[in-house]
Amino acid sequence: MPKKYHIHPKATPLELDYFFKFKIVRGENCINCGKCTKVCIYQAHKRSEADPRIMADPNTVVCKNCFRCIQECPRGALEKSLDKVYLNTGGAYWKPDMLLTLYKQSEDGNVPVSGAGYRGPFTGTGFDSMWTDMSEIVRPTRDGIHGREYISTSIDLGRRLNHLVFGAEGQLISKVPDTVEISLPIMFDTPAEKLSSSIKLAMVKAAAELNTFVIIPVADITAEFEKHSDNIIPRMTASEIDTHKEIIKKARIVSVDCDNSVLNGLADLKDKIKKIGNALCIIRVPAVKDVEYTVNKLAHDGAEIIHVVADYRGQEINSPAGSGSRHLKDIIRSVHLRLVEDKLRDEVIIMASGGIALAEHVTKAMLCGADLTAIDLPLMVGLGGRIYEEQKQILVLPEGLSKLPNSVITQRMVNLMAAWHSQILEMMGAMGIREARRLRGESGRAIFFEEIDRDTFGKLFLK
Amino acid sequence: MKPSTVNIKLAPSRFKHQVPKYKVTRSDACINCGTCAKTCPYGVHERVEGHNKIKPPINYKCIGFECQSKDFYCVAKCPQKALSLSLNPMYATLGDFRWTADMITGTWIMAETGAPPERKDLEYNVGNSGGGFDKLRFKFPAHPKKVNKSEISTEIPLNRRNDGRANVVISTPVYGGGMSFGSVSLPTMTGKAHNATNWNTFTCTGEGGFPDNLLPYNDHVITQVATGLFGVREETIQRVKIVEFKYAQGAKPGLGGHLLGEKNTESVAKMREAVKGTSLFSPFPFHSVYSIEDHKKHIDWIKEINPHALVSVKVSTPNDVDMVAVGSYYAGAHIIHIDGGYGGTGAAPDIAKKNIAMPIEYAITKVHNFLKDEGVREGITLIASGGIRSAHDLVKAICLGADGAVIGTAEMVSLECVRCGNCESGRGCARGIASTDSELADLFNEAWATQRLTNMYNAWNLQLVDLLQKFGMKSVRELVGRTDLLTHIDYSSQETESDHNG
Repeated sequence: MPKKYHIHPKATPLELDYFFKFKIVRGENCINCGKCTKVCIYQAHKRSEADPRIMADPNTVVCKNCFRCIQECPRGALEKSLDKVYLNTGGAYWKPDMLLTLYKQSEDGNVPVSGAGYRGPFTGTGFDSMWTDMSEIVRPTRDGIHGREYISTSIDLGRRLNHLVFGAEGQLISKVPDTVEISLPIMFDTPAEKLSSSIKLAMVKAAAELNTFVIIPVADITAEFEKHSDNIIPRMTASEIDTHKEIIKKARIVSVDCDNSVLNGLADLKDKIKKIGNALCIIRVPAVKDVEYTVNKLAHDGAEIIHVVADYRGQEINSPAGSGSRHLKDIIRSVHLRLVEDKLRDEVIIMASGGIALAEHVTKAMLCGADLTAIDLPLMVGLGGRIYEEQKQILVLPEGLSKLPNSVITQRMVNLMAAWHSQILEMMGAMGIREARRLRGESGRAIFFEEIDRDTFGKLFLK
Repeated sequence: MKPSTVNIKLAPSRFKHQVPKYKVTRSDACINCGTCAKTCPYGVHERVEGHNKIKPPINYKCIGFECQSKDFYCVAKCPQKALSLSLNPMYATLGDFRWTADMITGTWIMAETGAPPERKDLEYNVGNSGGGFDKLRFKFPAHPKKVNKSEISTEIPLNRRNDGRANVVISTPVYGGGMSFGSVSLPTMTGKAHNATNWNTFTCTGEGGFPDNLLPYNDHVITQVATGLFGVREETIQRVKIVEFKYAQGAKPGLGGHLLGEKNTESVAKMREAVKGTSLFSPFPFHSVYSIEDHKKHIDWIKEINPHALVSVKVSTPNDVDMVAVGSYYAGAHIIHIDGGYGGTGAAPDIAKKNIAMPIEYAITKVHNFLKDEGVREGITLIASGGIRSAHDLVKAICLGADGAVIGTAEMVSLECVRCGNCESGRGCARGIASTDSELADLFNEAWATQRLTNMYNAWNLQLVDLLQKFGMKSVRELVGRTDLLTHIDYSSQETESDHNG
């Protein structure tokens, strides 16, 4: 039997305040009768410790919105509303509920489960405009909950041959390129915001525990990271290669930003890196308009891994919203199909990032055609980071973070990935797909809103 | 038409206060003159004789901005201009995109009174999800055939196979979804069954077995056979008129159920024939079914054990749901019950509820047309569920091609569920609907639950009859597949005539 891949989550509360959704305020007409303490099963209401004759302020962090105190207060003295901080955090893409669930998943590592049906909009933009399929009866790939350990989420990184060539005697003539296997279709990327080295160190440790990588700008790789080089991908521009030979030598993979020199001289670049060490090379390409042509050229010229990077909301870079700017979902589909058309798709690895905010986005990005994804902000949200789409500084990390033990920060990242891993298994299990490698481009397992709505309602009602 | 067993009686809320939509604010300028208390006919303002100060306004009784046109509008009447009216921020904490606060409030009123709300300020027929049912509107003929309401039939037959089995007819094209013993409280479960009996329709056991308390309602209970086969015994299959195979649930398609060990109490364990305190998994899928042929074997098994029963097949809505439906017909099923991806649950991973399988609106159309193309549509009853929230959703589902619908959440909301979504966490439902906690499960009794449900079913039936009359139809069966009576906000170019409050 294959070795099972397990992530070990551990409840790791953060001793810092995060925001909450519901706020209850006790009005002046409260008669301190204590009815609310009896009806609330979540202990939001307690008597004051200093003076048991009066009620303490409601502890609304624990409120689960059951309305019992509201409806049973004899004086109607309690008022509830959406908390102002909740309303002012996040934005149209990074919704505050999303931040809360990422924070919770980082705390306990569990799949978020709740009662009652889905409560969101029918459809939305980007990844919200697609559903994933499931297989109703014929399901040889999964044995209920008990077989899920055998669903594999690992991915091989590296150039692959289009076909193998054998000699007259049946001996293998083709030189099979080296690959690196990671256990999750997810890598960590470093956000643009400045991070303390303790957070970066925690990212590296978490990546090592999860058997994946962290992409770190080469200039930030100081001596303390040295012993973790197995899980670090140094990121650099082509011109920086010569100055960082020592780091490249140790790395298993390096990431090089795409520029004109790279685009027109990929073979030289690969040679240069090969001369330094054995690292595979990721070419990092911003998801601008026409990115599929860049990707195609790189794939054609022998790129091993191409990393397509959209902005933090998954939008195309350099095209203002509303100008027909595409979301990562559509960018990946287009990149993927272009490669398929040119019969190059099986030879190259496509990594997608930007706007990957929830576990479902990983599966969906892969169905659209990515081999794997990279994330940055969700890890930061798990550490109590808040995202503000309307502000200049998008990511705000809590002040006390650097004082926390490194093990806490690492464990929270591991927890988040444990929760995501389980959720990806749920989706794959439902689809009856047993290997994450096979998710790539399986658009037959996706239901796209535009297509199904047009095929159903368009056909019926379009005059 | 409602059966004679239906009696409509007022069934007020269990709670002292309702959730207010509006907020009446009294400023410091108030001189406690009591004018507002005298003028407001709804009792928002109360001035107790002998008290110096008037009581704070009771917001939930206020009818809101439509009062502005009334001559008893307190804000205008106040000599000190001390009163103001606004939307209550609390209302934003009730409901969500699919079940809006108005929809929940409207359903509460139906469950209390047995009729659709008279208030004009509640959009209770359509949600705010921005797709599916919420984008469909009705298109009424300008000159419908004249039909008397008393002539309109809302009955539908459930056996269309002509196979000699019972010709089960339900009086309203709706029945209650499966909710297992253990997931809901006993008064909830028996209330649902009692109401189904009143309305000559059905409710379903869910997969936790058939508690003895349901025995008086045998003729209106569906025994569910799910993948865990919990509590499935010969006698539970033999005592009912319909047996339902649950292949999957819309809220968590492709995933098995999981009853936590702590929820597996002594009585739950006994019912499920399991060991108390152990976690119980329902596998996915049925391990005895890997093909339509295996599926037929399942159905034959039930038909053999109970020679009278109809067989229903409940599936969720993947891309190939249409093939599954046709396969079910050929396997001998009487009812194909499709449960859409946005359906309800007592507990499911959020990721599954949001993402896996298609919404019911698409699936109905797909299955109806596929069965028609196959030439077998007349031989099977198509039931839709998973997002049928209101009488309008029901009628839209039928226009798209369903014969009737199964509802679950709407029943829970009638019992004053607020959709907080904590059915499974800790002690379970804080409102006593979906909890087996000894204290919480006692918050209401079967009689109250039955009356609330019977009232809600009545309100839906009134709306259904009203719509059928506007379409000039004498039977709900004429409505099936009449997509020409619908328009879609995004696609239909012509002016849409909508009637939300019909």
